[in-house]
Amino acid sequence: MSGYSIEELLAVTVSRELRHGELGFIGLGTGGRAFALVVGVPSVAIALAHRRGVDFTAQYGVAFEPDIEHSPHCFEDRNLLRWPMAGQIPVEMALDGFKRGLMDIGFISGAQIDRYGNLNSVAIGAYTKPDVRLVGAIAQPDHAANAARTLIMIPHGRRVFVEKVDYRSAMGFGDGPGHRERLGLIGGGPAKVFTDLAVLDFEHESKEMRVVSLHPGVSRHRVEQETGFSLLWPDNVPQTQTPTDEELRWIREEIDPARAFLTGRIF
Amino acid sequence: MLNDSAPRRVTSASEAISGIPDGASVAIGGHTLRRHPMALVREVIRQRKRRLHLLGWNNAIDMDMLVGAGVADVIETSYVGMGPLGLARNLRRAVEAGRVKTIDHSESTGIDMFRATALGVDFLPNGTPLGTDLMTFNDGLVEVVSPFTGRRYAAVRGVRPDFALIHAHMADEYGNVQLDEANWMDNSVDVYIARSARQVIVSVEQIVSSDHIRSHPLRTVLPRRVVSAVVHAPFGAHPCCCDARYGYDQDELRYYYEASKSPQKFEKYLQSRVFNIEDHWGYLDRVGVVQLLEAATRAIAHTEGEPR
Repeated sequence: MSGYSIEELLAVTVSRELRHGELGFIGLGTGGRAFALVVGVPSVAIALAHRRGVDFTAQYGVAFEPDIEHSPHCFEDRNLLRWPMAGQIPVEMALDGFKRGLMDIGFISGAQIDRYGNLNSVAIGAYTKPDVRLVGAIAQPDHAANAARTLIMIPHGRRVFVEKVDYRSAMGFGDGPGHRERLGLIGGGPAKVFTDLAVLDFEHESKEMRVVSLHPGVSRHRVEQETGFSLLWPDNVPQTQTPTDEELRWIREEIDPARAFLTGRIF
Repeated sequence: MLNDSAPRRVTSASEAISGIPDGASVAIGGHTLRRHPMALVREVIRQRKRRLHLLGWNNAIDMDMLVGAGVADVIETSYVGMGPLGLARNLRRAVEAGRVKTIDHSESTGIDMFRATALGVDFLPNGTPLGTDLMTFNDGLVEVVSPFTGRRYAAVRGVRPDFALIHAHMADEYGNVQLDEANWMDNSVDVYIARSARQVIVSVEQIVSSDHIRSHPLRTVLPRRVVSAVVHAPFGAHPCCCDARYGYDQDELRYYYEASKSPQKFEKYLQSRVFNIEDHWGYLDRVGVVQLLEAATRAIAHTEGEPR
């Protein structure tokens, strides 16, 4: 089973981050490419982790532990109401879970990201009269402030990876080391960033973004070209581990046979 | 009901909405493209209200339509987008032109601004927005320190909207409002929105007898004491979905999204869907029974192997 899509590679890579006993929160907010990244990739990653015997709990907003393999084709209420799941939680209580520090992982994205993992999904340009008004912060700040760690899925590009986000809608490491601690944020901040080119993390001391691995066929030069700030590079950069045949078979035959999650074909 | 002197609350949308003055603050129930009070929203536009301050916690076609119709000066929420379709184009144009002011929230602070008032306090502590530009530009988020632990929070200011517009499943003539047991809990915030407001206008799919309400009291989400007016509006959330009652009208949502591409097209949309129609019943005629029944009865496909 040679050949795989970038979304399949990301799903497999993210699944290796998920640990036994953890709880992750997935928002059902959006569609298209963003849906594939922040709903599709984590969903498939969780279903893969389950197949490796990892007890990972998925909470999709108010939906507690739904059957990922039987997700609706369309997230209108009446389909969600028929989606087999362990329970529905009133949404204010679901979001209180963040404030209480119950969430181990938040899966988030944004239109801009900077070296400290701060995100922007509110406005490009000046806030009060922006060049582009985006959808708003949604639950991104709740994930970013409170989850034990966040995993960020975001497309690589110079307009996305910027020196400074135009509007900080979600706290990464803020202005740098110590900022989260000074504010008393209960979450640990961004752990890893997954793009179409690479996997990145944040260096422990400086909190600056660092390359962890490059996807097969991607050069250092290309990543530098597509990043609007200087990244930290380890001496040796490994290649991102590719999906196994078994993982690809699980994805294509069992988890997402209609390719709905990983192509974002939902309404 | 033995207490027969209880006031009757059922009225027309036109009558209920006529009480909203220009410049009022109006909170809107619903979430993304779920159960927004669209019949009431269209009546607000039909009556050409101006300078409204709109509040919600997660909004979509409701706020985009009101902004596109020139009804609002200020929007206060965590999200205005068209879900799977993309950005809210009317809102985008208005904000980029500086015509509409935005007061941004996270989902939890957007909920807490209503919940504070509903709980009888003037703010709720929430650490979520610390360090973000939500704090920079929203003066309803102010840093405070716990007197007990020294922990830092944002105080989320409680809001007291002049009106709340909510859509629900049924009510009796006294204004006791109920939801079906099958309701998607993203809309559990509607109760807090209603309980934060001075006046609450609720549209419902059905008016039912008081006996029916009283024999299923667990389903009551808003008792009559917190409800000012009830409007009978079947398909009142259309083209949004409404729990088990009906799904998205995807054709209508796409028609709207296409119309929102330019102010000229959108004006035509408003003429055809709002202004040249007397009321919600005329709107239902305009959309057409076939399209409405399609949204209500389209086969539900949710198992593996079917196109999603």
